[in-house]
Parts: sequence; structure tokens; C-alpha cells
Amino acid sequence: MAKSKSRIAAACVAGAAMSALAAGSAGAATAPAVLKIGTLYASSGSFAVASEGQYQGLQFWAAGVNKAGGVFVKAFDKKIPVKIIAYDDQSSTATATTLYNQLITQDKVNLLVADFGSVLTSVAVPLAAEHHMLLIDPTGSGANFFTKKTHYLADVSIPASTVWPIPLGDYLLKQKIKRVAVLYGSNDFDASQANTLKAVLAKGGVKPVYFHGVPTSESNYTVLLHTIAARRPDVVIELGYPPNDIAFLRALSGSGLHFNMTFTIFPGQLLALLTKNVGAKTLAYTYTYPTPPLVKFSHVTSGLNTDDFVKTYTAAKHEAPNFLNAAGYNTGVIMQDMLKTAPQFTQISFDRALLGMSGKTKTLLGAFKMTDHGAQLGELLPVAQLVPQGKGNKIVVVYPKAKATGKAVYPAPKT
Amino acid sequence: MRDRGAWPGIVVVVLLAVVFLILPHVYGNQSLLFQMMTFVVLTQGLNLLYGFTGYLPFGYVGFFGAGAYATSLLVLHTDLPVIACVIGGGIGSIVIAIILGPLLRLSGAYFSIANLAASQIMFFVVSNGNLSKITGGPYGLKIDRVYAPEASYLTMLAILLLATGLAAYFRASRFGLGLRAMTQDPVSAAMAGIDVVRQRVLVWLASAGIAGLAGGTYAWNLSVFYPDAVFTLQISVFAIVFALFGGVGTVIGPIIGAASLYLLYNGIGISFPQGFELLYGALIVLLVLFLPNGVSSLLTRRGVRVF
Repeated sequence: MAKSKSRIAAACVAGAAMSALAAGSAGAATAPAVLKIGTLYASSGSFAVASEGQYQGLQFWAAGVNKAGGVFVKAFDKKIPVKIIAYDDQSSTATATTLYNQLITQDKVNLLVADFGSVLTSVAVPLAAEHHMLLIDPTGSGANFFTKKTHYLADVSIPASTVWPIPLGDYLLKQKIKRVAVLYGSNDFDASQANTLKAVLAKGGVKPVYFHGVPTSESNYTVLLHTIAARRPDVVIELGYPPNDIAFLRALSGSGLHFNMTFTIFPGQLLALLTKNVGAKTLAYTYTYPTPPLVKFSHVTSGLNTDDFVKTYTAAKHEAPNFLNAAGYNTGVIMQDMLKTAPQFTQISFDRALLGMSGKTKTLLGAFKMTDHGAQLGELLPVAQLVPQGKGNKIVVVYPKAKATGKAVYPAPKT
Repeated sequence: MRDRGAWPGIVVVVLLAVVFLILPHVYGNQSLLFQMMTFVVLTQGLNLLYGFTGYLPFGYVGFFGAGAYATSLLVLHTDLPVIACVIGGGIGSIVIAIILGPLLRLSGAYFSIANLAASQIMFFVVSNGNLSKITGGPYGLKIDRVYAPEASYLTMLAILLLATGLAAYFRASRFGLGLRAMTQDPVSAAMAGIDVVRQRVLVWLASAGIAGLAGGTYAWNLSVFYPDAVFTLQISVFAIVFALFGGVGTVIGPIIGAASLYLLYNGIGISFPQGFELLYGALIVLLVLFLPNGVSSLLTRRGVRVF
């Protein structure tokens, strides 16, 4: 009896030891055969143009690293190929919520990359935190996201939209322009810029003569333009998404109105698209925020520099890249660096790696600077004017002085 | 209650409760299940109005958005428990429905268009930058301090059971019979002693309240959202399509319509994202061509009385 008892006890101990060993081996991360990167894109709806551009940039990065045998993952001390798992959210937040969850819970992706912009990123922020996944956020810059410290959010490619118009406001004050009209879309991205601009101007004692929000879906600017003209502004600043910019510039061209300075956001990001839709003549002498690849960053610590990216992307895709392609590619480059430096294959370790890279990393989009709230500070966007050259326009950076490539033609001549 | 009494309704409610309590243990994508319930609730809420009174609210999403905002503002500005805030969302939508009550004087397409316009007005008011301090304006609202996916899931399930219970009551009670009589001929119904205006208004308020409760719970589940997310017309369109597909004026039609089409929508979206729009569009066209009265017509054609 005593013998049988001791046998049972031994069996229990052996069983417990085996369980502990099994648990130990399950707990230690094993290298995956492929690194699954989950993301969403919109093939239709209001964010389609921008979202597809960002997705193409990410695909371009993935193709490049896979050609080289994959990304180096420090935690496993080896290269692992990447696989992008992507679903189409059609610009719908409801669909995006389901699909982000699908990527996390069913596909069990290793890295989660948000779709374009704040609206489609917003639904992923709490979901990622709930599942303890680091959300790599290429272009969602809504101020609401970065209100507290988090391990689960990292804006990697664009600075928060609240800081975008700071150089623009400074430039207007420096030029001693007093009569400013601001027309903006009633959405987080545009309204936050409008309010920052208003605050910067207020510091210089300038109060906009016109400050008005319109629905994001606004497509008829003719009446608005005449209302603005009645206030006799020197500068008209329209802050919108690409469809707004196109509609505004078309209406301006057709209205016969002329202002000394006109500013829109997206010629600096999607110049080819804007030129195709409104014509080079309409864009001539207007102002914008120029973004890579329209402005170049030659000295990089990670990935291709701006010029090499343009060459390689153009050769691979047979079309010149725009800012959103660059933002998608930049997202891949930042993740690549993160995996190269993170000592453990965990989401917290990834976040710490990103914070460690902050201030030391330079990519084709410029400096990578991230706060522990996940917000990107990056490069402030300069102010540029589109100046006619041949059949098109060239970008001339006019402010700040350190980055200037020429002087502004002000007041803008009638074209 | 007539005929078989309350039993069919009780059976449907219990079945729904069991299914949606078990599903999260079988399938891990709880967001998909939550969204499916949201659309079943909205489809059932729309069915209450359209299926039983003939009023088709194109702007049904307005009540949903109003509920989302009322709930979120209560969460942000009071210390009430979240459930009380969700109930507040439902009450907020009912208040909006009372204000919009005169729309019921219109009928047919005029009512639908006026209701659509009302929902758009609500959207533009809420997202107006000048109201940022009150509604968050274009910056949306953030209530992540109460984010609780499990609790919001169970709350949406409770609302689903409530909406289904209401539809079952409409389907099997004298009140519902009166509604259907009004839909056929309101003058004759009034002459037969039915208080047409009172009954119509009650259904209008119930339908709005259901959407408001759903909107509040949806906002709770999202916790960070922009006005577009809760006022997008896609929500109205989906609810209408799902209701028509399942068969309005019944209890199980909207449930079948919303659950099956939403599953199909996600099934194609997940398994074949590249051809999503083509496939889903083609399916809708085929369904409209061959099943114009919804899937429940497959049964009614064979003499089966669909509950």
C-alpha cells in the first residue's frame, strides 16, 4: 500500500514537472514562420484615394523586405518574411471595427496597422488597447487619441494635425498679412488645424475676417467664395480633404474671383491628383504644405531616402509616388527598425523600442519623434508656393527660412 | 394576445438570448457579433414603424446618433452609471421623436424624405464647430473611461430582446392588429374605434427609443467616435435593406434578414476582400429579382404563417 502510494506521489510529481515544462515551452515565444501584419484599406468611400495610397506604400515596403529575405527580428535573432493580411473597410467605421477585431482575434496578427486618417483609426484605438496590441497608426492624428500615456498606440508617419498650421500662421504674421479668411471642413483633421491657425494669428493680433466651418461633404463652394470675397481678405485658406480642395479650387477658377494668396492642403500631398482634377493653371501661385516626396530628406538612418524611394517606387509601380505612398512605406520602415531593436517579441517591448528610436531615427519623412502618449511630433510642415514651370508647377518652399528654396510671388498674379 | 398567445414571441426571445450568449464562446470576434446585434436591433426598430404602420424612415439613423450623443454627454457630464446613461440615450431619442412628431402628418415618400432631412440636420448641428464645447463638434467624443466591451455586449443583447419582445407584442396583440388595420386604411380604422394618431405616435416613440438605446450602447462599445460614425446614412440604408430582405411586419423576418445579410457582408469582406463590392452587389440584385418580398415570402408562398 505504502509502495503504491509512493508510486502515485511520484507520478504526480512527474506529471507536475512535465506540465511545468510544457507551460514553460508554451510561454517562451517561438519564432513564427511568417510575420503577420494586419491592416485595413478603403477601396471606396470618402477615404479611398488616401487609404489606397497608404496601403500601396506598405505593400511596396513588404515586397522590398521579402525580396531581401524578410525583416530582422532581434527577439529571434533571425530574418522572418512578412505577410500582409488586409481587409477592405470601404471607409466605414462600423465595418472597420469588425475587421480590426477579425485581424486581432481570428487572424492573430503579430502587428496591427491602422487604416488612413483619424476617423478609420479611431475605432481601433480602444480595441487594440483592450487586446493589448500596439496599434501602429500611420496617419491618424486626431488630438483625442493622445490624451494619456499608453503602450498600445504609436503614430508613426505624420505629426498631430494640431501642429500642422503653426509655420503657416507664423508666415502670415511675418508677411504682416492682416485680412485672413479661413474656411474649413467640420471634421477633426481640418477643424483642429483651423483652431490652431486662429490661435497663432491671435498671438500676432490678427483676427480672421472670415472663419467658417462647412460639412466635410461640401462640394459647392461658389456661394461661400462670394461671401468670403465680400469680406475683402488678402488670404483665403481652405482646409479640407482632397475632394474639398478640388471642389474649392474648381469653384475659385470658375468664379472669376482672385485673392492675393490662396492656400489648400492637398496639392502638397497629392499634386498629380490635384493637377489632373483642377489643372496646373488653377494651382499656379497657390500655397500648400509640401510633404515628401515634394520635399526631400537625403540623410536617413532607416530605409530609403526620399530620392531613392521615388526612383525605386516609380520603377516598381510605374507611377510616381505621392505622400501617402511615402507614409505607408515609412510605416513599414519604422516597424522594421522596431523589430530590429525590440529585445522581446511582445507588444510592450515593441512600444519601448519605438520610444527608444524616438529622436534618433530619420526616414524619408524626416525625424521620427514620438511621445509616450503615442503622438508623433516629427517634422513641422513648411509653407510652399506652386510656381509655374513648363506645363506644370514646381514646389518652392517659402517658409521657414532655413528650408526655403525661393521667394513667394506675392500678391499672386492672375493666371 | 391572439391565436397562440405569447408563446411564439417568448420562444424567439429565449432563442435569441441563448444564441447570443453562446456565440462569443464559439467565435472570438465579439465586435462582429456586437455589430450584428446592433443591426438586428435597428432592423427590428425600423420594422416596428415601417412593418406595422407603413412609415418608412430614411433618416432612422438620426435617432441612433441622438442616442449615441445623449448617452456620451451623460457619461461625460454626470456621475450616473453607464446603464442609466444608455437609458438616457433612449429617452433623448424619444424627446427628438416628440419634436419631430409633426412629420407623421406627412405620408409615403414625403415622410421618408422629411425624416432623412431631419437626421441630416441633427448631424450638421452636432458636428458644428461652434458647438464643440457642448457636442465635441467635429472632434467627436471620447468616453473611453467607461469602455467595457463585455458589458456593452450584454446591454445590446438586452435591447435586442426588448425590441424583439415589442415586435412580438405588435404581431400578436389587439394593439398590433389595430396598427395593421391603420396601415390598410386609416379612415376605416378610425371609424372602427382605433385611435389612429395615438397609436401611430406610440409606435413612432417606441421605434425612436429602440434606436436611441442601440445608439447609446454602440457609442459605449466604440468609446471614441466622430459624428460620421453614428450619423452615417449607411446605417439607415442597411437597416432598410435588411428589413426588406427578411420581410417586414413579422418578428423573425428582420432578425433573419439582418443576421444573414450582415454575416454575408462580413463573410465576403473577410474571405474575398478584393471582390467584395462586386459580389455583395450582385447578391443583392439577385435577391431583389427573385425574392422581392424577402425571404419570409418563401414560406408564405407555401402557406406557412411566418411569425
